[in-house]
Amino acid sequence: MSVLDAVRGHVDSYTAGERFAAILVGGFVAAVGLALVSGQLSGGYLLFLLGLAGMYVLLSLGLNVQWGYAGLVNFSVVAFWGIGAYSAALVTAPSAPIPLELHPVVGLLVAIVASATVALLIAVPTLRLRGDYLAIATLGFAEVIRLLMLNERWLTAGGLGIAGIPPILRGISEAIPQVRLNLGVARIELTHGLTNSLLEFLAVATLVLVVFLGLRRIQRSPWGRVLRTIRADEDLARALGKDTFRFKLQAFVLGSVIMAIAGVFYVHFNRYLDPSDLMAIETFYVWIAVILGGSGSNRGAILGGLSVIAILEGTRLVNALPLLAGVDIAPLRLFLIGLLVILVIRYKPEGLLPPQHEHIWPEATQEADR
Amino acid sequence: MCALQLVADGVIFSCIIILGSIGLSLVYDIANFPNFAHGDLMAVGAFGAITANTVLGLPFVAAAVVGIGVGATVGVATERVVFEPLDVGPLELLIASIGVALCYRAVLIGGFGSDPRSYDVGGRGRVEALHEATGIAASPRSIAIVASTLVLVLSLHLLLQYTSLGRQMRATADDPDLARVSGIRTRTVTTAMWIIGGGLAAAGGVFLGLDTIVRPQMGFDLLLVLFAAVILGGIGSVYGAMLGGFAIGMAHELTPLVPGVGTEYKAAVAFVIMILILLFRPSGIMGGKESA
Repeated sequence: MSVLDAVRGHVDSYTAGERFAAILVGGFVAAVGLALVSGQLSGGYLLFLLGLAGMYVLLSLGLNVQWGYAGLVNFSVVAFWGIGAYSAALVTAPSAPIPLELHPVVGLLVAIVASATVALLIAVPTLRLRGDYLAIATLGFAEVIRLLMLNERWLTAGGLGIAGIPPILRGISEAIPQVRLNLGVARIELTHGLTNSLLEFLAVATLVLVVFLGLRRIQRSPWGRVLRTIRADEDLARALGKDTFRFKLQAFVLGSVIMAIAGVFYVHFNRYLDPSDLMAIETFYVWIAVILGGSGSNRGAILGGLSVIAILEGTRLVNALPLLAGVDIAPLRLFLIGLLVILVIRYKPEGLLPPQHEHIWPEATQEADR
Repeated sequence: MCALQLVADGVIFSCIIILGSIGLSLVYDIANFPNFAHGDLMAVGAFGAITANTVLGLPFVAAAVVGIGVGATVGVATERVVFEPLDVGPLELLIASIGVALCYRAVLIGGFGSDPRSYDVGGRGRVEALHEATGIAASPRSIAIVASTLVLVLSLHLLLQYTSLGRQMRATADDPDLARVSGIRTRTVTTAMWIIGGGLAAAGGVFLGLDTIVRPQMGFDLLLVLFAAVILGGIGSVYGAMLGGFAIGMAHELTPLVPGVGTEYKAAVAFVIMILILLFRPSGIMGGKESA
């Protein structure tokens, strides 16, 4: 019974938002499990979806650094994602117009350097702008990037796109032998493809974990506290002698590099990239994820990223229901997301998991309790 | 293509941008947020007219009026149902307006599919007399667009300058609190602004559909160009939006004259102008409020 009591005690310490989030995640896991068992969802596709979810989570975490920590209104999320994705694709793919065929690690480094450089170039003039102006300016910048990727065919292959991008763990999955397990009820077959998907999923999961832990540490650091002060009252931060522009610049670059890393990961697991992936709607999805999760909260960004991908991909399963077999899902999905945004802003503008005790060192509260 | 032809194309495109940017500018000033749903409101108007024209079989002119009515109604309804009850900062309003934009587009795609449509009206060929006299190829459709825009813009000017409602609108745009204590019913004025803004946006959408084609994404694709016009003209200034719309529309179409820049970068030129204005003169060329 003591285990049950311990669980109950733990659950009692949750806030209402945390409970709701736990129910949401539990329901999500149950739905995925059900779909997997009933054969609606294959293991390989599930891994693909989880990889996609990991990418959205990374994007949300990156935007959370900019908007959640520092209050910077960046509407060029998809542009930085695209800079990362195109850097990786152009450096590694044999089908790139200028084939270099370097190792994915080189692509990652190029992506980090390129995104940081572009972020600096964009941020230095624009970060002084008012929030709404910054939103419009960065949205315009993202469109310029999209047009460049679409039209500079000598470099990016334009609308044709780049195919045949190698997997990020090139050479490793082939080294692992194929396994066939016959467990009576379930036959598990680990082909090279599935092994590779599994490894890629583990890679993104590790990446998300590392970024999450790193950001959590940063948020509690003096640097994170200065950013929080800037977001609440920039004049106050300046009066305390902080070079607020410098801090905002650092937050902008850090967030943009995280977005670029998400892009690098995406091309290696999707294996194909074209400029239609760079539409502004992708930026809106990431914003919706951060607002839904709770601005400034890393856990919220993860929850928001997962929720958005659950809505985007989960609505595909609606057609599996006999009643709704013929319904066109795309507009329904768009409508649901639009409605969700309006409802969240109306009834819960602080999001599902607003930052509360994550700003405080755990030791500090323990000592207060004692 | 000769420069004169590009200028003519620029005038036509400018008309559409002007109609879109007036409403965007009014709402930006009064409600204090950039309405990301404004582009999709243009599409709503265009589809309203398509329904009246091809489904109900109304003649095009009547259908265009229906489309404008639909745009105005949807604009006011959105303000009453979504924006007015929100008690949040400008950035949250901006995000909410993205949600509204997605809802508009979802309804359009759900109701009409994503295939492009066009109006059931003639007037596609060029006017031969004009072509022989000046070398400009312009269809009767384009001439109708320019003429109608002139009428709409002139009416708005007369409304703003010579009617009581116009004076109240200018006063409210200038200082909402002062207007309210002077006895102006600012809520009525705000409603009037949404009607005018929504109606003009819908007119822009109908004309865009007439000039090119009607599709659900048409308005959103134009949104950043509209923002460029509004920011260039100065937020809240109707005359600024007209001037900004004209300048951005011309820049958009005259891009091929700039050496080394292809037509594929038309929109990019508008965005770069916008970013430069934001950096160096964020109050716009009309300097903000005094002309309302």
